[in-house]
Amino acid sequence: MLLNYRIPREPSTPRIAVWRKLKALGVAQLGDGLVTLPHTPETQEQLEWVANQILESSGEAITWIARPSSRRDSKALKKQMQAERTDEYAALSEEIENTGSADRRTLARWRRQYRQIEKRDHFSADGRDGARLAIDAVATTITGAKRSVGSP
Amino acid sequence: MKWTTRAGIHVDRAASAWLITSYIDPAAEFIYVNDPDDVPVDSTAFDMIGCELTHHGDDVTFETILRRYDLVDPILWRLGEIVHQADLDDDRFDAPEAAGLDRIIRALGCDHTDEEVRVITGTILTSLEKHFRAETARG
Repeated sequence: MLLNYRIPREPSTPRIAVWRKLKALGVAQLGDGLVTLPHTPETQEQLEWVANQILESSGEAITWIARPSSRRDSKALKKQMQAERTDEYAALSEEIENTGSADRRTLARWRRQYRQIEKRDHFSADGRDGARLAIDAVATTITGAKRSVGSP
Repeated sequence: MKWTTRAGIHVDRAASAWLITSYIDPAAEFIYVNDPDDVPVDSTAFDMIGCELTHHGDDVTFETILRRYDLVDPILWRLGEIVHQADLDDDRFDAPEAAGLDRIIRALGCDHTDEEVRVITGTILTSLEKHFRAETARG
């Protein structure tokens, strides 16, 4: 799935909103105004909405159902996207590790951050389980409750 | 009247269809298409790119329909907050129900047709609406 777009430099608010949205979706940037996501009905819809938003902001946008002609490039893209998610999971794990004691509010924030990363993690990147376990450990400390054996 | 939306329906389309049936056109018939160019001329399109009843600014389609049809009932707007969060997850509203609703409708889509997902979601929303009304009445 590809989205190529052009959006006016000014006003900057819609341009920044579009960029934030694309970031939240976990796109890989291929070039200036060209981003990609693996193709699923869901990602297609997501990119089409962003395209719609760009058009409403006096920009130009076309979504494409396309894939690299070589498997090697396809794999490289997948690796790139995985690496980006792995970095995000690692940053979250590190923050959890460096926080001495957390309250429920902080726990809720971490869980939310985790869900956001997981949502844009299209290829089960390394670091996901580590981040989840770190959050579970915090939850156990706070609530005193233990997850039953065998639960994921 | 005939109403057309994009196939592979999810929370915003299913909820909008419920809103249409419940408050705008009780005899509504729904058509699901893949391409905006396949929308029959005698039908009203919703939640599709390029049509009137779709995302506008920060609004999802459900909210757009509430505005366009002057539906000011706060309970419907509360449902709108849930649909908005389930669809966009942008932290605009505090709607803890959203994540669950999103997952449930996504799951329904795995083994049900669009029409079935629409009907089941409608049942859920009708009950949720009654539940909120009862809650509000109790104060």
